[in-house]
Amino acid sequence: MLKLGIDLGSSYTKGVLVNDENQIVDQFVVKTGFDFKRAASRIMTKFEEDYEIATPVYTCGYGRDQVDFEHISNSEIMALSKAVFTKFNKKCAVIDIGGQDTKFIKINQQGQVDKFKMNRKCAAGTGSFLEEIAFRLDISPLEFNTLTDEATEEVRINSYCTVFAISEIIGLIKKGATIANIAVGIYNSIIERCMEMVAADETIIITGGVPEKHPTIVRLFKKKFSKVESPENSQFFAAWGNILLNSQK
Amino acid sequence: MSKTQSGILRLESANVLKVVMSDYFKRLKDAEETAGKKIAWCTSVGPAELLYSMGFEVYFPENHGAMLGASKKADKYIPSAVAEGYSPDICSYLTSDIGAFLQNETPLQRSGFEAVPKPDILVYNTNQCHEVADWFSFYARHFDVPILGIHTPLGLNELSDTIINGVAEQFKALVPELEKVSPRKFDMDAFKKSIELSRDACVRWREVLEKAMHRPSPINFFDAAIHMGPIVVMRGTTYALDYYNVLYDELDDRIAKGISSVPNEKYRLYWEGMPLWYQLSNMARLFASLDTCVVASTYCNSWVFDDLDPADPFYSSALAYSKLFIVRSEEVKKEMLQEHLKDYAIDGIIYHDSKTCPRNSNNRFGLQNRLYEETNIPFLEINGDLNDPRCFSEEQSLIAIETFIQQLAEKIYS
Ligand code: SF4
Repeated sequence: MLKLGIDLGSSYTKGVLVNDENQIVDQFVVKTGFDFKRAASRIMTKFEEDYEIATPVYTCGYGRDQVDFEHISNSEIMALSKAVFTKFNKKCAVIDIGGQDTKFIKINQQGQVDKFKMNRKCAAGTGSFLEEIAFRLDISPLEFNTLTDEATEEVRINSYCTVFAISEIIGLIKKGATIANIAVGIYNSIIERCMEMVAADETIIITGGVPEKHPTIVRLFKKKFSKVESPENSQFFAAWGNILLNSQK
Repeated sequence: MSKTQSGILRLESANVLKVVMSDYFKRLKDAEETAGKKIAWCTSVGPAELLYSMGFEVYFPENHGAMLGASKKADKYIPSAVAEGYSPDICSYLTSDIGAFLQNETPLQRSGFEAVPKPDILVYNTNQCHEVADWFSFYARHFDVPILGIHTPLGLNELSDTIINGVAEQFKALVPELEKVSPRKFDMDAFKKSIELSRDACVRWREVLEKAMHRPSPINFFDAAIHMGPIVVMRGTTYALDYYNVLYDELDDRIAKGISSVPNEKYRLYWEGMPLWYQLSNMARLFASLDTCVVASTYCNSWVFDDLDPADPFYSSALAYSKLFIVRSEEVKKEMLQEHLKDYAIDGIIYHDSKTCPRNSNNRFGLQNRLYEETNIPFLEINGDLNDPRCFSEEQSLIAIETFIQQLAEKIYS
């Protein structure tokens, strides 16, 4: 029997299957859409095809209690911290960039959460910021990644607010800035927003769906800060940490 | 004893409070309808004792602002004030109060008022913020009535005699102006009596709050925010003192019987900043479900003017109203908080960063980090607003609060 952890985020729902040694055996992600229950069931159905799944299921995220099966819910911040500490086993600051929010967590030497913060209510510093700008520029958000390869200089986007940022970008285009240079500016704007939350000398672990889909963000982070790491498959960390939290209780 | 859904015990004194507050509004209504009585509008930490001693009935727009917030209608009213040129970024008590006035609506209509009681004079003290002067000026222009103000210096570290004497002179300077409107001449004995009543009520109110030092606490912040009505609007009268004697006895009784406010109190929090008026009962339920009692707050503790002294009423008024938290330097604020954290055995602090009230958002100049370094007491910052629900993300705050309690559990029980 395998344990199932599900992180029901506002944009994506992520599921992991874990064996008795708490190692990840399989993982699956679906778009959350408008229905948390449906998203969680899709994860369950997919895994049930190949595995036997134990109950309860461990859930976290915005939709943590919106599932149709027996479950134990956790805070995704505690779950994510558990996973990061299990993987890195050191004091660090976590920046998790998700579709709708950015989280900052400070973990101490004992693996406890010392402090955490979530971004304010606007899209600044989150995946929504990228999506909204991409939509207005009529390109796919993922294209920003490839565009940055052609950048010749870093254009600065000052506005936090997505609406203001868009008018600023239009102004830059009018002045002749290339879309490649603007793309770097857009990523840097997200990074600057995140950096308001951490001190410069900390080990920074970057997680979440956005850096996974936009590796340029991690590359630019590394350019600015010396101690930056971003584990693979980090968007599944909270789902995994969910199980870790409960297996040690 | 009646229990709410969350298992939080309702204070029986709430029934008495209802009567006390309704009588207060009746007195205002009578004053409006009787030629002999005059109505003064006053700020919540303004010179209420002086006004009561001179025979005014006193109305507090901030109390009205809180009622608008608690009735979850502030966002209906704010746009009307914005249309008049008041920014949505300034005090949402002000914008919701002026907006409701422009829309001819008030929760007082449920108590038989047609509109808020018309002022004969407006009196403010800027000890809390300068917004109150602009707020009252709107009504001074509208009703064409006199407006008086005490301008207290802010960010005070030491309370030197020079400063306090200066403020005391401003208190004295109100008298001849008030006499032009008041039904009664200034009478030193009446003022002294009012100061004494106010001091005694403040002391009783402090003792009520201190009951939360008991573990488990018989009262929580969300109750206290409601039960503070009389200390805000009836300082300087017997009504406030009488009410807090009732509440005090009930809390004493709860302690004797081992009754706690939150059914299974495990964690004790401090609330720094304004209440979220439109979320008060949701918050109370949420914390109770997390076995957490918010036992103390800067907000409720701000109405403890125990320096008032009938032997020297002007000087002591100036001292008491300049000594309060909101008037002080960051350093003094830190020391005051440290004391509360110790006295109430606090496990964690919640800072409510209230978008439209910077002066009551004490996490904006690094105080939260400095206090943490010295006390190692974890803190959580939540973004919201006192009245404007559009500045608050319920879901995000819920996750943050739940996580914070898990963080405390990990710290306390590891
Ligand atoms: S202190 Fe804050 S809430 Fe009170 S009147 Fe001033 S700005 Fe408004």
